[in-house]
Amino acid sequence: MTIPKALQMSLGLRMTTVGFIVCWCLIAAFPIFWIAVMSFKEPLDSFASNPLSVIFGPSTRASGKGLSIFDIIIGLGVIYLIYRFSINLLPKWIKQLIPANLSVFGWLIGSLAIALGVVIVFGVLVPPVLSFVNGFTGFLGTPLIGFTTEHYQAVWVDNEFYRNFINSLIVTTGVVTISLTVGALAGYGLARSGSNMAFWILIAALIFRALPHSVLVSGYLPVFVNSAEYLRPILGEHAPTFYGQPLAVIMVLVAINQPFTIWMLRSFFQNIPTELDESARVDGCTHFQAFRWVIMPIMWPGVITTGLFSFLLAYNDFLVTSLLLDAQNQTMVPAIAGYFNRETTTTDQVEAVAAAVSITAPLFLLVMVFQRQIVSGLTAGAVKG
Amino acid sequence: MKFRVFAAFAGPSLLLMLCFIAIPLVNVFIQSFYNTQTIFETIEIESCTPGFGTSTCVTETATRPVLGEDGKALERTLFVGWESYTNILKPSQAWNAVKQFSWSGLMAIDFWKALRFTLTFTLISLPLVIGLGLVIALSVNSLAKSIKGQIIFVSLLPFIITPVIGALSIRWLFIGDGILTAMLEWWLQIDIAMFAQAWTIEMMMLFYRVWHVAPFAFVVFYAGLQTVNNDTLESAIIDGASRFERLRYVVIPHLMPLIVFVSLIHLMDSYRVFEEIVGFSSQAHVISLQWLTYDFLVPDESGNRAISRASASSMLTMVGIVILLIPLLRKTWNDHKSRVL
Amino acid sequence: MKKFCAAIITALMLPGSLWAACAHDNQIEIKSLSAGFEAWKAVTDAMAECGNFQAELDQEFRDKQVEAFAADPSLYHIGGVSNSTLVPLVNNNLVRPLDDLVAKHGSHLSENQLIRQNGQVVAIAMMVNAQHLMYRQDILDDLGIAEPTTYDEVLAAAAQIADAGVVDYPLGATWKTGFNIALDFVNLFLGEGEALIGADLMPTINNETGMQVLATMGRLKEFMDPEILVSDSTYVQQQFQQGKIAMANLWASRAAAMDDEAESQVVGKVTMASAPMGSVRPASTLWWDGTVIAANITDEEAEAAFQLIMEGMDSEMVQANNDAAIWIIDGFVPGKSAAGAFATAANGAAPYPASTEFGIIFNALGNGLAAYVTGEKDAATTLADIENEYLVGAREAGLIQ
Repeated sequence: MTIPKALQMSLGLRMTTVGFIVCWCLIAAFPIFWIAVMSFKEPLDSFASNPLSVIFGPSTRASGKGLSIFDIIIGLGVIYLIYRFSINLLPKWIKQLIPANLSVFGWLIGSLAIALGVVIVFGVLVPPVLSFVNGFTGFLGTPLIGFTTEHYQAVWVDNEFYRNFINSLIVTTGVVTISLTVGALAGYGLARSGSNMAFWILIAALIFRALPHSVLVSGYLPVFVNSAEYLRPILGEHAPTFYGQPLAVIMVLVAINQPFTIWMLRSFFQNIPTELDESARVDGCTHFQAFRWVIMPIMWPGVITTGLFSFLLAYNDFLVTSLLLDAQNQTMVPAIAGYFNRETTTTDQVEAVAAAVSITAPLFLLVMVFQRQIVSGLTAGAVKG
Repeated sequence: MKFRVFAAFAGPSLLLMLCFIAIPLVNVFIQSFYNTQTIFETIEIESCTPGFGTSTCVTETATRPVLGEDGKALERTLFVGWESYTNILKPSQAWNAVKQFSWSGLMAIDFWKALRFTLTFTLISLPLVIGLGLVIALSVNSLAKSIKGQIIFVSLLPFIITPVIGALSIRWLFIGDGILTAMLEWWLQIDIAMFAQAWTIEMMMLFYRVWHVAPFAFVVFYAGLQTVNNDTLESAIIDGASRFERLRYVVIPHLMPLIVFVSLIHLMDSYRVFEEIVGFSSQAHVISLQWLTYDFLVPDESGNRAISRASASSMLTMVGIVILLIPLLRKTWNDHKSRVL
Repeated sequence: MKKFCAAIITALMLPGSLWAACAHDNQIEIKSLSAGFEAWKAVTDAMAECGNFQAELDQEFRDKQVEAFAADPSLYHIGGVSNSTLVPLVNNNLVRPLDDLVAKHGSHLSENQLIRQNGQVVAIAMMVNAQHLMYRQDILDDLGIAEPTTYDEVLAAAAQIADAGVVDYPLGATWKTGFNIALDFVNLFLGEGEALIGADLMPTINNETGMQVLATMGRLKEFMDPEILVSDSTYVQQQFQQGKIAMANLWASRAAAMDDEAESQVVGKVTMASAPMGSVRPASTLWWDGTVIAANITDEEAEAAFQLIMEGMDSEMVQANNDAAIWIIDGFVPGKSAAGAFATAANGAAPYPASTEFGIIFNALGNGLAAYVTGEKDAATTLADIENEYLVGAREAGLIQ
């Protein structure tokens, strides 16, 4: 579709727009870019007040950890190859191997594979080759920019951060699945019921969403801790203690997230014409059958967008997880707060920064994969007020 | 849809909300009128403290809870009516300040101080978020298709990043001689301490919140722009409408439901502002309502919690948010009625 | 990666050696909940060598410690406490008297380590801590200033350093709103030999001494970073390391960081001295950290837990982590970094007066003092408001009528 001439912008306006977008992108990305830079330096450089010493890392370089021009060229080359691969080959493979309606999951798996590949290539394959080559290349081989991955090693290997990663994975998967299942049913019910009760439920849900979480959360603690005692008369000796159980935290997060989920999905279902499921009902389907066979196949865009919001809530949650999970089941965000709260040395802080960057990386990947779905899901009417 | 079918569909969701939100809420409501106290007695006690090499033992009078037969501390629960609320609102002190037109007198009371900040924070950030989100959406929409994807990706970053980490990353840029403070100092040639006074901290908190939420507004509005009716736009052009008039009379009305939606979400989220207070450690200068509740709830060094005041403070917070939401709720009610009719 | 590989290699080469550091093989599942600083890490790592042990290190542990210990059975067997966090556990009768276990397994413990209340051992202490003066020896020598021993001398030295302009700010302080600033006020107040709470549990801060302490804080503020109300121990430590301040009252456990070559630019230049004297004793408080065993567990579990504690607090652990804390366990060799704390104790610093009512006034101080430092309220209003806040809290807790 070509843009009608009258809709085209004047040169001045276009320059302003482009200038504005450039500024915005800088502001949006800079803080994140900056903590990423900090995480690769020795403590003295990371918290230096001169931005140049944070970028070039003189003391990191002085301790012999740095990237030479040669390293940078090779690194950029490898990154370019990976980029080409994911732009050109990956889509083809996904198209061939995976049915179209599940392509999103194909992308998810594909990008996970690429992420794993990047870690292996840069963490295991490239360093020995480079250190071997750098010995011969003279000036090109001397370090130019201070660079060290020791903090990441400290976080992931020495401090066993992967355990927190797995716990986060469990909690988020649980929250997204349960939240969407329960929420889609409720959203459909609310969208198709015109009764006043449905309205008041929605209003109550809205007020529930506005509640400060700290009020609710501290109310759970005594109940969760003593649940075994409370439940023993009913369940006998095997009564569970909810405190520290990922499943209990999943339920809390699902409940906290329900108001938003049912509002989103309700407005999404409202945009699906009633005629569709009504005609199915005329053909003799029950409500559940109509939902299963008529609505479910076309509800994916809205569900994916809503699911993404659930994911963010579960993944980023701090209050609930830090109070109700014990160390063995701790997720990543409270684990990071632990780094900052303990009597920290500057090294601890840089490790915390490295952990913070590690947390952000999966989010990056996720938005990269789902970005188109978010927009199309919202466009399809998941939000119509 | 019959009631039973409706109940079957909505049941699980309602049950979850009932268990984990409604029941705790009712509990908080009841607790705000009661006060559970431990019963204390004063006794002579000998206690020893380790020192360097030797320990020192002293006998002193100490307050200890009276233990019951089951070995647990005895407690009594008293109905205290509105006492917890008065302890927070301090109505007489506040009224005196109002009578003397003493703003600082009113701000000396924690609750009013927190309310002042929470309200200004909410009401100032709202137009900023909506405005910035709209401008980004319009700008991105006018870009060439080939780079749209990348720009949307970058724009979404501040929204997806974990709030605690986002706040910290901004804090590091400014605290002490953080690089942005150093840059400002170099540019303006004056000594700047961003964390030394209330207004700079409030600016940073606002900046963080707008940075964090504007992308959400952007992506919602951008999705809305994809469904603007081109025929309407073209007929507006034929009528000779300028770019601004088209925006004002076609695009904005089309986006109106979305603007209401984003406002609703933003009002609720920023009214319970909390991460910023902790992330920027601003307690010395500004506090928010949720922080006040949190502070009552967290046990102090000796394990005391002010549960009654915490409950009262959270009920007051709730009343506030309901008042803020009334205009939007009325609109939803009207929509609902028109849909039913 | 190297450490990881080394660990695997050692494990493969010497089968069975992994547990070798532990004298016995622990058979019962034991869990602990404690704060997360370096010393706890050292102790819990040593306990873990015996197997079947899980440690939860959480700096916000007090949010859940009482609830978790009150459950039946208790969710944790071992608890890490300090003199202040022991109070709610003892009050609710949640710790087990340890006399029998000490007699059976702990005969080597020194009397200094046994925390007794009414004759019963309730906790085993492992380390002490105190805030004391640290100063830049090189700067004070250059300017010909002698070691300051009172706050007047500190202020005089600060004025001289400010005139010389050798550092950004002459003084640093842990004045972050909340715990930090409250403790500094308490330190100064106790230094005058007065108590903050009277015999009838009424506050005694709104008086001459209180005004005097606030006046001192006001004068100190003039020589400090304007961002002093967000500066906690880590921040002050960093300011020292980066050469931005010349003097500060800081925790003994932070002293070793000044000489850490990886982080510090002032290695060997910082001297540890006693906390400045008030008119009666040093303006500092003595703290201890140690372990308790939960009351709501079986005798077998308690015995296993106690044996683990003995293993975690042995001389071997101390020798491996000598500088992580000021241990009061056999085998500790006091180094340069312990000098300040010893001097402070020798000058007669008081122990931190932990109690239920003190927690309330401490909280009120933490929230209320900032208004004075920012200049929002004058000294008299600040003290009156804090006093008021304490009365409301104490009445709600049922301490006073």
